[in-house]
Amino acid sequence: MYLQTTIIAIIMVATFALASWKLKSPEISMVITAIVGALVGGFGFPSRLLVEGMFTYFDVGMIFLTASIFINIYSETGAMNALVRWIVKQFYDRKWLMLILLGILMIIPGALTGAGSVSIFVVGGLVASVMNYMGFTKRRVAAFIYLFAMLAAVSPPINLWAMLMAAQANMPYVGFNVVLLVPIVIIALFTIIYTGTSKTPERKNKEHILSELPLPPEGMNWFKIITPFAVLLVLILISKFAAFSIPVLGLPLTFVICAFVSAMMDRKRWDVRKWFGVMVKTMDQVFPLLATVISVGALVNIMTATGVRGLLAITFITLPMVLIYITALLFAPFAQGALSYGSAIILGTPIIFLFNSIGLNVTVTAAALSFLFPLGDCLPPSRIVGRLTVETVGYEGSYMSFLKAIAIPWLFMGAIGLLMLIFPNQLDFLVVY
Amino acid sequence: MLVLMDTIIHYFYFVMAGFFAILLLKNLFKRERRKGLVYDIVYSYVIMVFILRVIGIK
Repeated sequence: MYLQTTIIAIIMVATFALASWKLKSPEISMVITAIVGALVGGFGFPSRLLVEGMFTYFDVGMIFLTASIFINIYSETGAMNALVRWIVKQFYDRKWLMLILLGILMIIPGALTGAGSVSIFVVGGLVASVMNYMGFTKRRVAAFIYLFAMLAAVSPPINLWAMLMAAQANMPYVGFNVVLLVPIVIIALFTIIYTGTSKTPERKNKEHILSELPLPPEGMNWFKIITPFAVLLVLILISKFAAFSIPVLGLPLTFVICAFVSAMMDRKRWDVRKWFGVMVKTMDQVFPLLATVISVGALVNIMTATGVRGLLAITFITLPMVLIYITALLFAPFAQGALSYGSAIILGTPIIFLFNSIGLNVTVTAAALSFLFPLGDCLPPSRIVGRLTVETVGYEGSYMSFLKAIAIPWLFMGAIGLLMLIFPNQLDFLVVY
Repeated sequence: MLVLMDTIIHYFYFVMAGFFAILLLKNLFKRERRKGLVYDIVYSYVIMVFILRVIGIK
């Protein structure tokens, strides 16, 4: 059985590599890999499994779409330009304060929703624009945005990996706030210093930048700039803290409401043709990501059916403890790349059980793993947050060079997660109920 | 009241999926980037997912 599943896994890897090379489309490569995997695994042409799988991340795709529509409509009203102008005017000469503020701005949407991609969609474009005007290279901007998107996803109150592991392992999701926040602050400071100390060869003077920035449209004011984001924040907070007093909105509808509010702030608010045009363009812009989440769902479903997914998990958790520590920085991110949040269930929960059986603190272990899994959001096959960062920043180099650009803060975050995994009992003072 | 609103929102999500299917269909026939046959196929199966959601099969 092991041999048969291993052969299927090898064939799937080879198919994916070949299809990616020949077709230059990761999305269709994943679907072809899934079909080949099913054929080799004896499932025939897997129509039902493919369709079921494609719906696995359908809701995530809806969030991507609606969040992008919201932010593109917001930009179309001119509010984004006005906001960038104001930030440049106020903070251009105070680099460190600016980086700290941009970091906090990046963390808020992801912390409230549990998805780093939401941070990039909602404020990533704004942060990238401001950093570009400050003269940072695209490499540093990409590293900053990617790292803070990961930290946003890990940050409490919503850490989906920790929540999934806690739910699977029958442990309460309590005591995670401090044990997550302390490493987040350390990693955030490292990333800010890493970015701030880099050279800024494209830095121009403030007056020159302000003359380049488009002027805000007539009638643009603070009310129009802030209201859409205020509505977003209020709706997310109400959904969390007054969940039994309001209907279940869901993030896609929340973003649609905010998009409508943004459109209402525009002078030509009833120009339906204009808004429809924005939405068509948004669809074209977000399509690779949408297709990726739909395709990766099909691939993961076939991996489950053929036993490849289980094989990967079993191989990892039956390793000796020392090897688990050594390979965690490899296995956990790649599991995330292949399984997305499923990595927490497939790999995370067995590790929690294993560590619990030898008397290690499981809250710190779950927190540590939740720092390791998001590292894989830039790894194949899905590469969701990585590709999103590349698109948002307008990074023009190869994907490999993007990975090199984020390597140092990425490894720092991995090292922190690994240290927490190795010394959970020594760090149990961070578990505050 | 909450139940009624939840039901309305539930159906609104179907409408939203239908609207996105129309946007995707428009981009399938008239798009500026990724014009090759490979992406025709990718567009097709992505649209199929939205249509299945609209007609309530999944």
